[in-house]
Amino acid sequence: MRCIDFDDFCNNRMLMTFSQACLRREVISQPCRLHLWMLIVGFGLFTSMTHAADPVAFDRDAKPYLKKYCFSCHDDKKMEGELNLAVYKEPQRVLESLPKWETIIQRVKAKEMPPEGSPQPSEEEFQRFLSWYGTLPRPENECRNLATDATQNFYQGYVMSRRLTRAEYANSVRDLFNYDFQILPRIPADGAGGEGFDTNGSSLFTSAILAEKYLDVATDVASQLLPENLREQPATMKPGEGSPSTNPLETARHKLLAHWPGAGLTPREAARLNLEPFVKRAYRRPIHKEDLEPLLALFDQASQRGDPFPQAMRLPLMAILISPHFLFLAEPEPSQEGVHALPPYPLASRLSYFLWSSLPDDELLQLAESGQLLQDDVLKAQVRRMLADPRVRGLGENFGMQWLGLSQFGETTRPDAKLFPEFDRDLLEAMRQESIETLTEVFRKNRSLRDLLVADYVFVNDRLAEHYGLPKPGSNTMVQVSLTDDQKYRGGLVTQGAVMVHTSYPFRTSPVLRGRWVLEEVLGSKVPPPPPGVPPLPEHDPNAPPLSLRERLEKHRQDPACAACHNRMDPLGFGLENFDVLGRFRTTEAGLAIDASGKLPSGENFSGPAEMKQILLKRKGEFLRNLTKKMLGYALGRGLNKFDQCVIKETLEALKSHDDKSGVLVEQIVLSYPFRHRYTKK
Amino acid sequence: MPHTSRWSIPRRTFLRGAGVAVALPWLEAMGSPVKAAELTNPADALEAGKYAPVRFGCLFFPNGVWKDAWIPKQAGRDFELPDSLQPLTNLKEHVTILSQLDKRHSHEGDGHYAKTANFLTGLRVEKTTGKNISTGGVSLDQYMARQVGHLTPLPSLELGIDPVISGIDSNVGYTRLYGSHISWQTAERPVAKEINPRTVFDRLMNVQQAGKNRGQAASSRDADRKSLLDFAMSDARRLRQQLGRDDQFKLDEYLDSVRAVEKRIEFFTQPDPRVWHPETPQAEMEAPGAPRDYQEHVRLMIDLMILAFQTDSTRVSSFMFANDVSGHNFSFVDGVRGSHHELSHHEGKPEKIEQYQKINRWHVSQFSRMLERMSQIREGESTLLDNSMILLGCGMADGNAHQPDNLPIVVGGHAGGRFAGGQHIASKPRTPLCNLYVSMLDGMGCPVNQFGDSTGPIQEVFSA
Repeated sequence: MRCIDFDDFCNNRMLMTFSQACLRREVISQPCRLHLWMLIVGFGLFTSMTHAADPVAFDRDAKPYLKKYCFSCHDDKKMEGELNLAVYKEPQRVLESLPKWETIIQRVKAKEMPPEGSPQPSEEEFQRFLSWYGTLPRPENECRNLATDATQNFYQGYVMSRRLTRAEYANSVRDLFNYDFQILPRIPADGAGGEGFDTNGSSLFTSAILAEKYLDVATDVASQLLPENLREQPATMKPGEGSPSTNPLETARHKLLAHWPGAGLTPREAARLNLEPFVKRAYRRPIHKEDLEPLLALFDQASQRGDPFPQAMRLPLMAILISPHFLFLAEPEPSQEGVHALPPYPLASRLSYFLWSSLPDDELLQLAESGQLLQDDVLKAQVRRMLADPRVRGLGENFGMQWLGLSQFGETTRPDAKLFPEFDRDLLEAMRQESIETLTEVFRKNRSLRDLLVADYVFVNDRLAEHYGLPKPGSNTMVQVSLTDDQKYRGGLVTQGAVMVHTSYPFRTSPVLRGRWVLEEVLGSKVPPPPPGVPPLPEHDPNAPPLSLRERLEKHRQDPACAACHNRMDPLGFGLENFDVLGRFRTTEAGLAIDASGKLPSGENFSGPAEMKQILLKRKGEFLRNLTKKMLGYALGRGLNKFDQCVIKETLEALKSHDDKSGVLVEQIVLSYPFRHRYTKK
Repeated sequence: MPHTSRWSIPRRTFLRGAGVAVALPWLEAMGSPVKAAELTNPADALEAGKYAPVRFGCLFFPNGVWKDAWIPKQAGRDFELPDSLQPLTNLKEHVTILSQLDKRHSHEGDGHYAKTANFLTGLRVEKTTGKNISTGGVSLDQYMARQVGHLTPLPSLELGIDPVISGIDSNVGYTRLYGSHISWQTAERPVAKEINPRTVFDRLMNVQQAGKNRGQAASSRDADRKSLLDFAMSDARRLRQQLGRDDQFKLDEYLDSVRAVEKRIEFFTQPDPRVWHPETPQAEMEAPGAPRDYQEHVRLMIDLMILAFQTDSTRVSSFMFANDVSGHNFSFVDGVRGSHHELSHHEGKPEKIEQYQKINRWHVSQFSRMLERMSQIREGESTLLDNSMILLGCGMADGNAHQPDNLPIVVGGHAGGRFAGGQHIASKPRTPLCNLYVSMLDGMGCPVNQFGDSTGPIQEVFSA
């Protein structure tokens, strides 16, 4: 068990609650407990060590800057973008809202703020402001701090027991039997919350429709596995032996019917032996008598009315699939309030639903049983193993596509069918697969996360390659293809077909939507919605020479109210104008040459998608911060709060020293305090 | 006119002395079980079976309307239908147009979400990306289902086109699921909507089949299901004890859902609570396949709602033409080139407004088609339309400005003769939309003094 380092506590109430929690539970190992007593004795010393920010530097380098360049929009009267900077009267207040300040500084650094048209700071003022922020003392080892009810947000470590998401449910049924029953399309989609994912417990609801569907799916699975005509034990099979069959459904069936009545085995005993391993995997924990008895009662009920043995197994099988023990990621709570380390079985589930969107496999369950899963090195080894497993596609598809806003790609909004008849089911599906593969590949192969921005490869099948104008790889399924130097406009997420389609209107591309997508989904920046009463985009007079979209948008940006956001969005979007609505490369549109150049508020210039992506690479700090935040929110299934910032910070530091490897990101999250603990509120 | 005030006698009988916040439902004439003891005049009860029950449907569309082409210039019975409402020309006598209705609680909060989720609750939408989701209260349809849902095989039917929108809108600070639900079982719990027409059809067919077999021994399938549901509930109760307080609520949802399915099965093993029965219990609809396009999808879902009402499978239903901020491509409408949300932000430009207006009109034409079909379904001396209240509306007025006041609201049907129809009611500015809901609850036979942020009923909707 990982021992918690107490030296960093500086909050009295925090300490009290935690110490109570430690002393009454087996949360803390013996040496730790001693440590804790020592700590309490010397507590007075720690409070005085609370960092204080330097008020002189604040008054000299920050206050005048804010007043001069920010208050005209962000004081307590105007509060544009709901930002009031007038509340920061002393540096301590800044330290209290560091996450917000990260965003503020990010915008200032990119020279997006103050916006064009407003008074601009001199280079010296600019540098002094940034260096003031850079030297702000920050609390160290924040990750060891715990929240309690008394602190601002008790949800630290609090992860709601929740039902499986649609994808998790489908994957779990699949992995339970090693057979894909294709149930995903039958289950309604889930909403999202927290950091924008369906794994967020408080936004996952259960309604009667869902209960009905679970029942229908269970009925279907049971009748496929145990069909009406199945009567006798297959002659080739001996009790307990696997089947040589290559048909996966048959293999699943044989596994489920490993034991048959006879030879001293009653039907009930045979049923119990058959069910036990499935119940254990389905419920993801050790099985007790109270779990099995109700299932066997159902078997008895079916037997008594004359159902033959295999068919009598149906009812208990269906029962497993609708049981809340299967459908809910429930983390039972100790009877006392406080933070406790997650026991090994719930940890195994958190891990497998994070990395696979599915249930833990036997190896994970064994490590949970032995308790070894709680060791850092074992956990790390499991992360490596699981990331290399094909099931990691669950992470690419469910985390990745939701992160990018592509999980419902092509479902309600799509290119106009008359104008783009070539956009059919196959192409849509190929684009979706391209995105999923690209995301999955980076995690599967422990590649650098920078590959998501710039890569010298793409995933295509024949259809998509033809569509993109690349040589066909001779495959209907997605394969990895290297790009030549003159194809570097592709590669990475930003220029993919799915993204280009998703960020277009049915009839035309939209540099605004595309720019906003890059800013929000990739860089994690916020773009407020347009204020009401926006002046219309200057329309083009049919008699005048046609204005390009760029020219029209440039007119629009002459209004400083629009410029603040559009100066950030539009240039990025223009960099992608070389891609049409369907993501095909183009150099002209309606007879006009495409101008894919852009100039960002920072002064950086680029021309075309390849150069634009290089600019994004320079902003990889923003990208990695956003990705880390998103992934942590996905993994925890809740919205993040200020206590989680330290995990993000530590993860970013680890990435920096490990070449931005994807495995490091995942490992940091899995090893993090919130991932391995749970808060119990009474 | 078919909608003479035949309600007057039983209603007087039943509301006698009813002045509490929630008056006793006057369900006898609505086809509900009639207990003689509750009646002052048992003869009325025998009479009651002659009358069909009132049905409530809600058709929600997203992204607002162009008001100049929606709100009639004249109020009262003598008014001209403006362009967007033109498809209702033949049904003018059967519709009530309402203007100047407002949702006070939607004035805070950017964007669409605070205006959609509370369309039928009228209360405040909690600004959250996931924690403490709330729409302030139960929605109108779900409240009705609580009152009359036990009388039909399905307490209510929630229909839609789009799956729940994924993600959160971090700019306006709301989870997007707010834009995907108008039906809320409680303030905190949305009801999932069914978007697959075939599934709805199958469910309605099952109900009919079960109705035919009523009283016979439960089929082994149903018996199995009941055993499974019992198992699930007892497992859930066991698990619930091990969980923290907040987590128990999640298990309660599961328990409620399982119980709802069980009730559905039980409905047919017990005596039919209804006095009134539809004349044509047999459905006349072909089993739908996968819809080819958006238009067909909408048509099918509306047809299914009619079918559910016609067969008295349920008396309460809601339908969302699309989730809010929907980007459905409306180029199938002549003269429209673009998506709904895109065109709703018309920026005051005439050519965009024209297209926006055409999209509004298309929605009205779907509503009109529904009313037309319902007016052809006979129920004794009246029609299904006479016995229904179909609400068409949106939670915002102008889509460009996202205004939540002067909402576009039309009610089709006569609530069994209670609603006059054939008029444009221009209320005082900022009259709560919930005032209409109070009147509709009266029409449904579940009178209340107050609903959502209501300040009283809208008296004008009732027949003289």
